[in-house]
Amino acid sequence: MPDALTVSMRASHALVGIFLLAAIAFAALGAALNDTFYLRLATEALIFGGLALSVDILLGYTGLLSLGQALYFGLGAYLSAVVLMAVPSFWLALASGLAAGLVLGLLGGIIAMRVRGVYFALITFGTAQVVAKVIYNTRSLGASDGLLGVPVIDINFGFVSLSSASPAGFFLVVLAVIVLLYGVSAYILDTPIGRLLIALRANDKRVPFLGYRTATLRLSSFVFAAVIATVSGTLYPMLRGFVSPELLFFSTSGNAVITVVLGGVGTLVGALYGSVMLTLLKSVIGTWTEHHLIVIGLLFMGAVIFLPNGLIGLVRPFIARLLARETKP
Amino acid sequence: MLDYIQFVLAPQVVTGLAFGVAVILVALGLTIIFGLLDVINMSHGEFYAFGAFSALALNWLGLPFWLLLILVPLLMLPVGYFVERVLIQRVFNRPDRHVTTLLLTFGFGLVLEDAFRLGFGPNPYRPDTPIRGAVEFFGIFLPNYRLFLIVFGGFVIAGVALIVYRTRLGAMVRAAAFDRNMAASLGVPVAWVFAGAFAFGVSLAGLAGVLLAPVYSVFPTMGRDFILMAFTVVIVGGMGSIAGAVVAGLFLTQVQSIASLYISPVWTDPIVFGIMVVMLMVRPQGLFGRLGHA
Repeated sequence: MPDALTVSMRASHALVGIFLLAAIAFAALGAALNDTFYLRLATEALIFGGLALSVDILLGYTGLLSLGQALYFGLGAYLSAVVLMAVPSFWLALASGLAAGLVLGLLGGIIAMRVRGVYFALITFGTAQVVAKVIYNTRSLGASDGLLGVPVIDINFGFVSLSSASPAGFFLVVLAVIVLLYGVSAYILDTPIGRLLIALRANDKRVPFLGYRTATLRLSSFVFAAVIATVSGTLYPMLRGFVSPELLFFSTSGNAVITVVLGGVGTLVGALYGSVMLTLLKSVIGTWTEHHLIVIGLLFMGAVIFLPNGLIGLVRPFIARLLARETKP
Repeated sequence: MLDYIQFVLAPQVVTGLAFGVAVILVALGLTIIFGLLDVINMSHGEFYAFGAFSALALNWLGLPFWLLLILVPLLMLPVGYFVERVLIQRVFNRPDRHVTTLLLTFGFGLVLEDAFRLGFGPNPYRPDTPIRGAVEFFGIFLPNYRLFLIVFGGFVIAGVALIVYRTRLGAMVRAAAFDRNMAASLGVPVAWVFAGAFAFGVSLAGLAGVLLAPVYSVFPTMGRDFILMAFTVVIVGGMGSIAGAVVAGLFLTQVQSIASLYISPVWTDPIVFGIMVVMLMVRPQGLFGRLGHA
């Protein structure tokens, strides 16, 4: 008999399955209509969905609100831009993002893990501000303009090669990477380690009595979230051909937090749905007014007050019940 | 050497002092709200902008600056009271109060900022300086308005400290910050004190907005840039400490303004935020103790 976490994870998997099918249908439709704009927009939504995923791992499982997750996302993007300008290899960029995520997450984690609760939110915010300002002022990294002219690359899968300039092809590549990131996160969080992280969120004073070091657990979740963020970040310059310091700013971190809260804290899949929803909302409202922040801000406040589990938190219990009924003999 | 102190260092110290006084006014509200309610008010910068924009609008209606200096903070009181009762109290008793209230006020700040853009457009306004001219002081010229800002702001800060530490009302606030249940059972109207203190903090931010409008211009995102500095001051001084906000406010703005003599001004921000991060690492409670605890 699977426990509540496994059941809700299965419901999340089902929702990701729906998401994946819808996305593939969307890509097919886009390719058939020869669309570029919407496919690129959707690709961007997916990439920012990866950042939101990393925020959700910290907020929804370990219970830590990071206001500076854009730091890892942005550094991943910058690193990827630098790597791609030197060697136009997708796999090298991805691997360097992975490695950088481990190192940066460890460094950032050692700084941030010294404090708890509200101070954690502030220290992640402060660290991101410092690094963002440094990059903003560094001439060799393009200062306020960022790095321009990241080349179009061919992504070699062995049996087939795709160009990052192909809207539908690159959309599918990003979709695969983001769904993979989701899969790895969901797998790890469904193991005993994941359960310990949830235990930490519920009561961090009792976890040591079970024989676990809370510091190690927290740090590993932080490093893991940082890796998810940097890997997502590496995809950004491949899509847009440039990186700018805005990627590291608080507005990017704040957007990721909004995405997670709208989509559903602690659901993982909520980050992906939330990101698509937010992007859709921005472009729909953007067609009749430039003041989309009012609408998004109000929706966000409404979600915080009335829907603490977000949109997916509303839907997921039904799916979980449905799945539970099917598995019964 | 003497010339250097007189013509380079001194004007920089005075400019930094004027900025410091303004930052302290905003930081005081932030720190009182945290000390008492345990709420990180992410929309505090937008309340500062609120003050500046309402001063701008009322000024267009013909009201003089000196009247606005009193009127706008008074108008901000019901705004803050309303926000506390309607928004903050709604989520106040949830288990993860820090995160929820932080998110809620963050959302409210976004809405306010866009509302300013809707009402006034994205471009900056620069109201006329109410006091023109400059005085000559040992051979250097100091703008009159900045001197006024320092003196007036100094009085306001002293007034706030006096209210909190020397009046019955202040004793209620400190009692509620120390132990809200005990204070309530001793007859302190805690709900009223909470909303009142929030309104008071918002009102201080509004006052800073009126005071600084002629110096730094008025534009929708003005709160965003300013609040970072105020947050840094509150963290270094100690979240919830009034003395800490004053000391850290004066110290950090002087660091910023003197450092900009030696390095490019764009690099002073990373230094100040770096001090904040280091402070959070080694002494997260800040330089001074919390409101009601010292």
